[in-house]
Order: sequence, then structure tokens, then C-alpha cells
Amino acid sequence: MTDRPSILVPIRVLEGESVPEGVPALLANAHVVLLGYHVIPEQTALGQAQMQFEDRANSRLDEYEELFEDAGATVERRLVFTHDGQRTLDRMTTEHDCLAVLVPNAAGAVDDVLVAIRGAVGIDRLARVVAGVFGPTGATVTLYHVADETETDQDIQTLLDGMTQRLTDLGMEAASVETRIEREQNALDAIVDAADASDAVVMGESDPSLATFVFGMPAAQVADRFLGPVLVVQRETVPEREE
Amino acid sequence: MAEQPVDVESGGQNVAGETPAAEPEAVTDDTTVHDDDVELERTIGLTGGLAIGIGTMIGAGIFVFPGLAADSAGLAATLSFAIGGLVALLVALPTSELATAMPRSGGGYYFISRGMGTAYGAIVGLGLWLGLVFASAFYLVGLGHYAHAVFIELGIDLPVSPVIGIGLLFGVVLTALSIGGTENTATIQNVVVGILLVVLTVFLSYGVLDALGVFGRESAPEAFFSRGYFPVLTTAALVFTSYLGFAQVATVAGEIKQPGRNLPLAMVGSVLVVTVFYIVTIFVATSAFGADRLGQFGETAMVEVARDFLGLPGAIAILGAGLLATFSSANASILSASRAVYALSRDALLPRKASEVNLRYGTPHVALLAAGGPILVLVATGQVELLAEVASFLHLVMYGLMCVALIVLRRRDPEWYSPSFRVPGYPVLPGVGALASFGLIAFMQPTSIGLGIVVMLVSYLWYRYYAGDVTLKGDI
Repeated sequence: MTDRPSILVPIRVLEGESVPEGVPALLANAHVVLLGYHVIPEQTALGQAQMQFEDRANSRLDEYEELFEDAGATVERRLVFTHDGQRTLDRMTTEHDCLAVLVPNAAGAVDDVLVAIRGAVGIDRLARVVAGVFGPTGATVTLYHVADETETDQDIQTLLDGMTQRLTDLGMEAASVETRIEREQNALDAIVDAADASDAVVMGESDPSLATFVFGMPAAQVADRFLGPVLVVQRETVPEREE
Repeated sequence: MAEQPVDVESGGQNVAGETPAAEPEAVTDDTTVHDDDVELERTIGLTGGLAIGIGTMIGAGIFVFPGLAADSAGLAATLSFAIGGLVALLVALPTSELATAMPRSGGGYYFISRGMGTAYGAIVGLGLWLGLVFASAFYLVGLGHYAHAVFIELGIDLPVSPVIGIGLLFGVVLTALSIGGTENTATIQNVVVGILLVVLTVFLSYGVLDALGVFGRESAPEAFFSRGYFPVLTTAALVFTSYLGFAQVATVAGEIKQPGRNLPLAMVGSVLVVTVFYIVTIFVATSAFGADRLGQFGETAMVEVARDFLGLPGAIAILGAGLLATFSSANASILSASRAVYALSRDALLPRKASEVNLRYGTPHVALLAAGGPILVLVATGQVELLAEVASFLHLVMYGLMCVALIVLRRRDPEWYSPSFRVPGYPVLPGVGALASFGLIAFMQPTSIGLGIVVMLVSYLWYRYYAGDVTLKGDI
């Protein structure tokens, strides 16, 4: 699992969420951290839900684990009962050193991947995810940047070239990397529009904080509108939070 | 992140052939880890822990007892509350040690069953469940008194006293909300406690200044022990119900983050905070009216005190606060009672069915009904003081036994027992804690003591009948 990027795949295992079609193939080259989680109301002791649902949840996770393994991924799995789903996702990301979290939407064959690049921050992790997951598949990667007025074409080209360089350093074919710059559109809409032509999206977390990824941040909105799989690259985790 | 192994072995089976659920493998700062890579996330922080403790306690001591206590002990009721606080502190420290060694849900029941065996565990566990039922009923009757006071304030004259009816209504509403509601109750609890503390601080600061004569009013000077010395102790036993909340923190110990740090802070901290508030409240209340008049106002005496200081707005503020406080105390106690039922059912001391979670809401409807049902019966009696004392009795038995369990565990020193917080002054402090807890019981009314003993006896017989073969004691 040395070179395989760790990708967190969170599944609300008891609420009918399952591993969508195409996702195991998508992550065939990754180290999958399969997280089955179940959020229960605060009135209920966690152990109480565990006592009742553990077997059912585990048998589903068994199936999913097999799907990923059959596709070629290495898998590590956890089942977590929690009152706070976001906290659990954050902890898992930190504990298992996950580079990215997958928003699990169904995927077809992945030939074109859209990689949205905001800026130089975190670009290294982004490159490791893209090269690790899509490098061996031979898919075409489009590096995409939505520019604002203050940026010159030259700045952006430097940024994208730097990324291309990293990807080829990590073993990708330069020919399979394309770049594209968009202006005059709101970043979110631009990404969603561009994503229509792609089979998967890789993007960074948006600025605010870790705490907002699943429930309504740009990455999640993209996932909602795009309806395909989105890999959200996590920022470097800061050592331990307070409390 | 230090992993703490859990090495308690449970075994045996009950009449229905159910065995205790498997113990977890380890406890970390963020989770309780079971085998098969199953984890239970810890989500309650220090603020949440304090809110549970303070929120459960503050309703009774400030909004229900001042009138009753002043009536029976005079100005010396201040001392009664101080004694109650001291006993609570003596127990909170050992409880903290046990909780850091065994940060699992179930609180006192868990510590005692693992430290001293199933028989003690069953008596305490069933006692804890019923003790919380009595406590919830007490808060609900208190709530009824406040609601009644609202009607009086509005000038609505009801032909019959609505106290019990309102208590029953809210008992039903709370149980239904707990079963069907999925709102973020912890956040609401934090906010409620915050509001209460602000309202009380403002009100009490004003009251203290007034009592000290800053506003140029004469307060009623009075002999401190106007009712003699003995009532101070009986009153302490009565008002001890105001200190039951810190153990509720231990009942959710399995969900507290960084239990080694947060559990002791939350338990000891909440006891200290409420003790200060109680003592100041009684001081302010008695210096405003004198114990005699205060006693006549009964359960809602604080409303009159506020009216005296701040006029109608003051009375309305305290009425609102009283409704909020008794409501939150009752709610917290119902939830704790349902946790107690779960802990017993997990260990096969009650049918497994009792901890069933329903699919629709994900809530433990059977356990909640097992709390809500008996509560309604007790509310119907309307006996504030009796309900309070029986609740205190059952808790005090548990508190005393927790101190004993700590001494037992320290002496046997099993390998799995490694608390990160160790009680200072061992063995004197837990010893005194145990004696004080049992001692306080002696000052209760005979009826309360009798009822308490009956509950314990029935609990023991239930254990012999239903789960005589179950072993829960930790390995040595």
C-alpha cells in the first residue's frame, strides 16, 4: 500500500447507501478505507444501536469489501456508530491518513477526469491522488482552473505546468494531461459545466474548514449537480483539535 | 492517543437464556473499540458534560426547594445545601476515578457491578433506573407548580389545581419527544443551561447586593438556627435531590471525549457550580423574606423573591427560568433512566427486548417507555417531598456503594484497573464519602426510607429470579 493513495469511502451503511456501480473500478489502484457509519440520535446509547445493528451492518460491509478487493484495491474497513457523522469522517481522515474522500456517486468507465485546481496550496496532495488513482488507468486528465481578474494567463500557466510536471514525475504520461483555463464564470458553475464532459472529478476541499465537507460545501454541491463520483482532496491535517 | 485495554469478562445467562453483551476491547480518547473493527464515536465534550450535570441539577435546588427548605430549617437551610454539596463532592471525586477507569455507559451501575459483583450491581442498577424515575416525577411536579404559577400570574382562576395534570401532560410530551424527536437535543441543552446561568447570575447578584443593604433596604435579620440543629440535617437529606445530576454525567461516560480529562472536570465542576448557586440562592431568598414567609410560598417561592426585588418583570423572568429548568431536568432524567435500562439489558439483568432500538427513529422506545410509564404513575401522587427523598435514597445507596467499590478495587488492584484520575486522600476520602452517603439516608422520613428499602429488596429478588447465574465482576 506504499504508493497507493488512501481514499476514504464513507457509506451510511444502514440507510440504504451502498457502493455505487463503477466505484470499485474507479478506486482499483487506491488503498480504500471503507467506512460504514451509522448516525443515531442522542437519545440512544451508541452501544444500544451497536448491539442491534452490528451484524447487519457488518454483513453489508463484507460484501462491499469484497467488491473493492475484487476490483484490485487494498481495503481497510471500519464500522462506526456515532452521534456526529462529520466528526467521525474527520477523525477517520486523520487517523488513516486519507488523501481524499470519495463522494460515492455511480461511475461508468472512466476515460476523462476533470481536476479542478484552485491554487498552489495543497497541489502536492492533489497530484498524488490523481497520479495514484488514475495514472495506471490511462485516463485523460484535464487540469482545470477558473481564473479571476487578478490572475494573468502566465500565472495560471505556471501553476498548471507545475502540476503537469508533478504528475509526470509521478509516472503519468505527459500526453494524457491536458490543461484548460476558464474565465468569466462563477467557479462552481464552471466546474459543474466542465464536469459534464468528464467521468469523474477531483477537487480540493473548499476554504472554510474540514467541518463542512459533507453537508453543503462547494465540493458537495458539485457532487450533487454532477451526479458522478467526486474525489475531494483533504487538506493536510493540523495536529489535534481542542477539547 | 493512549489505548486503554478493557479486560472485564462477563458470563452466565438469565432466565430467558440471554447472555451479557460482549465487552469492548479498548477505550481511546475518541472511541470505544470493539472487535471486528467496530467503533463507537465519543461526541460529548467538556461543555456538553458540564451542561448535562448542571442542567440536571439546577432545576431542583433553585426553583423547587428554597421555600420548602426554608420552611423546615430556617436560615440554616443555607447550611443544609452546603452539607449536600459537600457530600456530593465527596462522592463526585471517587466517581471520577471510577469513571476514568471504566468510561462506559451505565455510570454507577457499571462501576459497582464490575467492582463488587452482579448482586450489588442489580440492586444499584434497578435502583438507579427507579431512582431516576422518582427524580423525573419530582421535576415534573415542580414543573406543574411553575405552570400553575403562570396561570395565577395571568389571573386565570382554575377550579382545581392543575399541578398534577400539567405534570402528567409534560411527562407524556417528553417521553413522546424522546421517542420521536431527532433534533439536536445536546445543543438545546447547552443553550438552556447557558440561559439559566445568565438569568440566575443577574438575579442573584442583584439579590446579594440588596441583602447586604446596598440599595438601602432593611432585610429581615433572623436567628440562623431558627428551627434548631436537627432540621438542618433532615433538610440536607431532603434537598440532596438537587445534587443527583453529576452521576448522570457518568451514565453517558461512554460518549465523553477524552474521558480521562473531561469526566472528572465535568462531574466535580458541575457540583461546585451548583453548590455555589444554591447557597447564594437560599441566602438571597431568606434575607428577602425571612424563612417563615418564604416557607409559605412553597415550591414557587423564588417567583415571589424575584417579584420583591424586581417587580413583575423579575417574577416573569424567574417563572420562565423555572419552567425551563424543571423541564430540562426532567428531560435529562428520563434520558438517563433509559440509559440505565439499556445498561441493565445489555448485561442480561433485564430482557434484551428492553433496549431495542426502533427502526423508524433510531430511538430506544421500550427503554424510554420503561422510564416514562412509571413516571406518570408517580407524578399522579403529587408528593414533591416524598418523590425527592426516595430519589435521593436510591441515589445515595449507589453513591455509598460506589465509594465502597473504589476501596474494593484499589485493594484488589486488578490489572485492568488503571484510572487516569486518582482520588486524593485515599482511603479516608472515599471512606468518608461512603459514610456520609449512608448517614444522610438516616435523616429521611420513615416513609421514604421504607419505600427505598422495598425497591432494593424487590431488585434483589428480581436478580435472584431472573439473572442469578450472570457474572459481571471484573477479573482480578
